[in-house]
Amino acid sequence: MLRKKHLLIASAAGLLLAGTTFAQASGDTLVVGLSADITTFEPASVSSRDNANVVRHIFDTLQSIEGDGSVVPDLATNLAISEDGLAYTYTIESGRTCHDGEALTAEDVAFSFNRAKDPANAFTGNTPGFVFSSVGFVDAVALSDTEVQINISAKNQIAFGLLAEVYIHCKDSYEKMTLEQAATTPIGSGSYKLESWMPGSEVRLSKVAEPGNFQNIVYRIIPEASTRSAELMAGNVDIITNVAPDQIDVINDSGTSAVQSVQGTRRMYVGFNLSPEFAAMPGGDAIQNPDVRRALQYAVDVPAICSQLLNFPCERMTGIVNPPNANKSLPPYPYDPKKAEELLDAAGWQRQADGTRFTIRFQAGRGRYLNDENVVLAVAQYLSDVGLKVETDIMEWGSVYVPLIRKRNVGPLFFLGSGGALWSPLYDMTDLAKADSGTNYTHWNDPRWFDRWTDIAASKSPEETRVIIDEMLKVFYEDGPWMHMYFQPDFYGVSKRLNWTARPDEKVYLFSATLN
Amino acid sequence: MTNLADTIAIAPVTRSNFSRELRRAGRSMVAAKWPLLALAILFVVLVVAIFGPWLSPLDPNRQNIMLRLAGPMAPGPNGATFMLGSDALGRDVLSRLLYGARVSLLVGISAILVGGTIGTVAGLLSGYFGGWIDDVIMRMGDIQLAFPFILLAIMFLVVLGPGVVNLILVLGIGQWVTYARIVRAQTLSLREKEFVEAARAMGDSTISIMFRTILPNIVAPLTVIASFNVASVILAEASLSFLGLGVPPQTPTWGSMLAQSRDQLIANRWWLAVFPGMAIVVTVLSFNIIGDWLRDLLDPRLKERG
Repeated sequence: MLRKKHLLIASAAGLLLAGTTFAQASGDTLVVGLSADITTFEPASVSSRDNANVVRHIFDTLQSIEGDGSVVPDLATNLAISEDGLAYTYTIESGRTCHDGEALTAEDVAFSFNRAKDPANAFTGNTPGFVFSSVGFVDAVALSDTEVQINISAKNQIAFGLLAEVYIHCKDSYEKMTLEQAATTPIGSGSYKLESWMPGSEVRLSKVAEPGNFQNIVYRIIPEASTRSAELMAGNVDIITNVAPDQIDVINDSGTSAVQSVQGTRRMYVGFNLSPEFAAMPGGDAIQNPDVRRALQYAVDVPAICSQLLNFPCERMTGIVNPPNANKSLPPYPYDPKKAEELLDAAGWQRQADGTRFTIRFQAGRGRYLNDENVVLAVAQYLSDVGLKVETDIMEWGSVYVPLIRKRNVGPLFFLGSGGALWSPLYDMTDLAKADSGTNYTHWNDPRWFDRWTDIAASKSPEETRVIIDEMLKVFYEDGPWMHMYFQPDFYGVSKRLNWTARPDEKVYLFSATLN
Repeated sequence: MTNLADTIAIAPVTRSNFSRELRRAGRSMVAAKWPLLALAILFVVLVVAIFGPWLSPLDPNRQNIMLRLAGPMAPGPNGATFMLGSDALGRDVLSRLLYGARVSLLVGISAILVGGTIGTVAGLLSGYFGGWIDDVIMRMGDIQLAFPFILLAIMFLVVLGPGVVNLILVLGIGQWVTYARIVRAQTLSLREKEFVEAARAMGDSTISIMFRTILPNIVAPLTVIASFNVASVILAEASLSFLGLGVPPQTPTWGSMLAQSRDQLIANRWWLAVFPGMAIVVTVLSFNIIGDWLRDLLDPRLKERG
């Protein structure tokens, strides 16, 4: 009976979509349903994970970091790091070409790095905004046709992993292009090339080199979660991202597809914006006090949010670093509203006659993260229960919330997720590499955290580094600018005709996908 | 589309014949039956909107995520029952439905007052003075009508931000052209009538002639238009709330309740969409039936026959 009902739903969705011109999944075509639109193909402007997942099939990188944290070669066959840790020399595989036939040499690699840094281009993507600022990128120099040297300003233990995120492209083709052309008609170096792009609707790639088992990959933009699920069950797409937690059982019962649940590495948190501008706002003054921030940690039942709203049991996170690399001596804050109230009283924020301690605005975007709007409303309810008057302000994600985030201008409370990794604790901590880092959305400036980066750079052994990391994480746990929430689970709907395994780091790479 | 200005002649209601007209309206309503039912439904909606906080069995915003997505008649918190089920955050659907009536009616009626007032003043000025004033006002209306209304509303709400006041302003401003056109057409015809000439000859000011002599004679068609418009504005509010551009998420409205049901429909949690959907359909249908009835009632040709 249940099966019949699901078939009816899937059939209805199929009928509704009959007559549309969307690509259908077939033997040589893999169709992916994405929840968010692709905004650019400019390699130095890519910043979102969805965008990167498409672009990575078009552009190669020097090396790749696998889901388990292992490093595998890509364009580069060898890496030599200088004794002072400031020069990274990569050996480039010879015989590689870009999609227009131009030979890909060390000069092209150096160009890809230097072009991303060029202030005239004013790029703001992941490469200049995160990678370069984190490693202190100086310049890239071609030593020969096959050797390129990347220079950085300070020793950095995770530079090799960060440099592996830079997309490589050819010099001659990109020098001829305007920035507008580069954003829409990329000439890549990877195994797929862009065939067509209809913004807001569809991206179509075709295979030009190994690796890859499908001749065509089609990405369809399907923002509405129910429609994505219906399309998957109807057999019109092979993989969908961001399955709504309440639809997991329906997909699993459909008989045509199943949901892969993965414990992701994205760190979800409620940020406390501590900038002077926000300190002048209602509630902004209260959260300047670390005691208040600590009190609020006890007010929210994070495991209940995970099990009920995300359909995924979780242990509350204890900081900025993913579990395998976290400070294991720190226990997750328990849900203890009584203790939260006691701490708020002790911090001088007693309940007034109307039961309110203070009013505070809580800003968030809608539709980017798993069940984000309901999570925000649930957190607001928990905070209200301990006497805060929370004014939720939930905005459209792309055009309203993201610009505020980029200006580090949201709050005093805000909800956000930050992509993480398992291969190094320092990668996760790099969000707060400097007090004025573009990714320090909280404006936190505690010297007990930020001064320790020089200690890490100077540390002589992994053990010594680990001690410093643990001390930093303890400061972050006790007095930090985040209300610790959870590592976001990821739900992918996968057709039963496909053999593909989801990774924990949200990288949807399709090179190894095959038909069953 | 029928131009009501062409079909409805002026039907001034004076105090002397008011009770006679009221009796005729009552007889007409009883004879037609459906308007009577529609009026009864709207009365219930009005009572619910006014007394919602006292009628609601539970706090409409109180979440209980451990009791989320409970079906109708499922046990609720503290021995209560979720008579119409609970939503994705464990809030009582019935209580939110009752509170939602308040927002829907408030937005519907207030937007009509805003749009009707602006449109009536603009139409009076346009029709009475004519010339360049008429040209400017009517071309402004033409320009506004050239844009799809919902697109215009989305644009303004993205800039202004969601909220009840902004919603009322946007929806109200979206309606003014309809009123301005009706009032202008009626004013053009009335300004040459003898009773207006008489008022002018007696030295009445222009403002007095427009608002005390002409306007009372236009109230009937405006009433018909307004009754239809309330329905369309309630639908527009529901659409904008559905898109997340209506009122803040914690404020229950029928449109936002529908929006929140989207991800649950495929999992067969029908109660989240059916109850707010029914509330919208029944209310909008009732306003439309009343509008139809009023149009017939105030149509002089039908009046002569009846």
